[in-house]
Amino acid sequence: MSDLDRYIELLRSCKPIPEASVRELCHKARELLIEESNVQIVDAPVTICGDIHGQFHDLMELFRVGGDVPDTNYLFMGDFVDRGFYSLESFLLLLSLKVRYPDRITLIRGNHESRQITTVYGFYDECMRKYGSASVWRHCCEVFDYLALGALVIGAGPSVGSGEEECELEVVQTNGDITRYRRGHGGHLGGPPGTGASGFSGGSSQSAGAVLCVHGGLSPVIATVDSIRLLDRKQEVPHEGAMCDLLWSDPDDIDGWGLSPRGAGFLFGSDIVKHFNYANNLSLIARAHQLVMEGFKEMFDSSIVTVWSAPNYCYRCGNVAAILELNEENGAILRSSGERGGGVTGGIGGGGMTVRAGPGRRYRVYEAAPQDSRGMPAKKPVADYFLLQ
Amino acid sequence: MNNLRLPPPRGSPSGLRLRSTHSSDHSPASNSKESKDRIVQQTDQDASQSRVSAVETGYLHDDFAKAFCAQEGARKFPLINRGTFVRTTALDRLVNTFLSASPNQRKQIICFGAGSDTRYFRLRQSLPPDALKNLVYHEIDFAAVTTSKVAAILRNQFLPSADIKAVDEAAGYLVADGYYIHPLDLRSLQPGCQMITGVEPDTPTLFISECCLIYLSPEEADAIVRWSTGDFTGSVGMVIYEPIGGEDAFGKVMIQNLASRGIVLKTLKKYSTLERQRLRFKALGFVDGQQAADVYFISEEWIGESEKERIARLEMLDEVEEWRLLARHYCVAWAWRGEEFAVWKGAVPLQTE
Repeated sequence: MSDLDRYIELLRSCKPIPEASVRELCHKARELLIEESNVQIVDAPVTICGDIHGQFHDLMELFRVGGDVPDTNYLFMGDFVDRGFYSLESFLLLLSLKVRYPDRITLIRGNHESRQITTVYGFYDECMRKYGSASVWRHCCEVFDYLALGALVIGAGPSVGSGEEECELEVVQTNGDITRYRRGHGGHLGGPPGTGASGFSGGSSQSAGAVLCVHGGLSPVIATVDSIRLLDRKQEVPHEGAMCDLLWSDPDDIDGWGLSPRGAGFLFGSDIVKHFNYANNLSLIARAHQLVMEGFKEMFDSSIVTVWSAPNYCYRCGNVAAILELNEENGAILRSSGERGGGVTGGIGGGGMTVRAGPGRRYRVYEAAPQDSRGMPAKKPVADYFLLQ
Repeated sequence: MNNLRLPPPRGSPSGLRLRSTHSSDHSPASNSKESKDRIVQQTDQDASQSRVSAVETGYLHDDFAKAFCAQEGARKFPLINRGTFVRTTALDRLVNTFLSASPNQRKQIICFGAGSDTRYFRLRQSLPPDALKNLVYHEIDFAAVTTSKVAAILRNQFLPSADIKAVDEAAGYLVADGYYIHPLDLRSLQPGCQMITGVEPDTPTLFISECCLIYLSPEEADAIVRWSTGDFTGSVGMVIYEPIGGEDAFGKVMIQNLASRGIVLKTLKKYSTLERQRLRFKALGFVDGQQAADVYFISEEWIGESEKERIARLEMLDEVEEWRLLARHYCVAWAWRGEEFAVWKGAVPLQTE
């Protein structure tokens, strides 16, 4: 058994690995990540995950629901650390899996993968507490600087499931309930005022466009996916500019761009997303970054989705979590009726704009790992409530 | 393997900290009324540490927070700091509106479960001399809490010694010019009870409860509110600040989490919405006006733009949705009877549900 496999085994049981091993792991990870593009290309099928935030036991729950690495191909959209009590174990496990199975797991950077933010939100303190020095935190931060800024999923099919079960969208709830939505059948999508796969009509059969995955969202200074590729990403997350925006921005029900209440990044409206998707031949933007009580939320006629993978966030919020599975293109049976295909979303510039049909999407919703499955260091987390007198 | 070699640094999870402060008396067996009271008393520690954190991060200016904080804790997360800021700012605004109208009128403030609250000392700094001279301020809390407060006041000489008329450090009792600390179990307050030393039942009186009545049973809490309207003949007003909304997913988790710390929010169910808070005060005798707003509304509507910008620059709030969620589960409610409180009408933006 290699050292790496031993680390993975230790980390899977939520035990930290020795400092020297962290250094070695981080070094290997950097060698691997430096070769990656700012926007990694990922082939479907892939399972897309949102924020983890050090909730190690819930990450184990995610793997239980979504399948293990390397059986399942994963894409994590950042925010591995901070807030939860096991940032170190969560991040190092994902990193060691990345080094062990580089083609089966993609990690992109979140706004919390930053020196400044981790000193405020817990990861720095956790490293100090568990190792007695800041060196492990420093090793991790050096890896953060090499993480990709986004990923482009290609080859996603227009449907999930097959035969009778084939559909554009499937939601698998915690209790096993499955809801399916087919194209052209309207219907309201679970997830807060999410939009259903409604109103698609006509169009010839074509494959779904690519799916851009990014932690936060779009930037007013980024018009194309290619321009993301030109950024120099190997640095601390700046306070402003394209790289900052990709990690900090949020979609919102506004027109155009707006100031973000977070103090970094921007708010962007439906028009911005639809133009960007059209210009870049995208069918969907998948992002994380915002707590969603139902685990996922599709917006703007399913042109963008928020995926949130930290159930009962901060051990306090009472939310469920979700992961998003994209099928491969030939994984579903093509229909001959031509029902599927390029739809028309109206209302852009008055003239309507043909956008790529969205990929088939399966959301698996899950709850926080039960208290008794929290394993050996089962410290019962205690949430902070502000404001008790 | 790596062990826990160092004591927790700044920002360690509050859970660890709380466990260590509770460890001596938090055994499962200690289920007595006394131990339950003690857990409630310790929530003051939490509030006090939050205030210090908000001061040190620059949200609030408070020269007394540190001196009244018995045990300094880790710095709080930005979201907690912001909550402390909004809560303090909101209550200050209602209190100051009451005090600044007709400064020559004698006025009284009675603060329930005052704990380590610094408001009186901040008022001493900020009020015009006339208004201060006309103010009598009472704090009521368990002796376990008031003893350390009295000690801190004496140690730091926060009051001129000439002002202090009587003091018993061991009992946690203090009488000064215009300022009283009463070591008293609030549950003894009910209509017709013996009036507390120095309290003037015919002076216009503002009652303040910050996360205090909610720990009492609905019957006990209601009795105190009825005492405030029934045993006081002049104008009366009340401001409370406490959690609401225990029925959704967030609220259920909050109730569970606090229960695991031995904290039960006993009136939460009965007064779980802004509307229920308003009706509560109306039914209990604050007949002239009843208002309530959640902390998120207050943070958006009561805080001026320049102040909002200042706050936004202090710390990056990483998760706005979480802030909304948390802030919507706390409310400020205020109600009144009598003309001295008519100044509250139109004083702040009102929330319509």
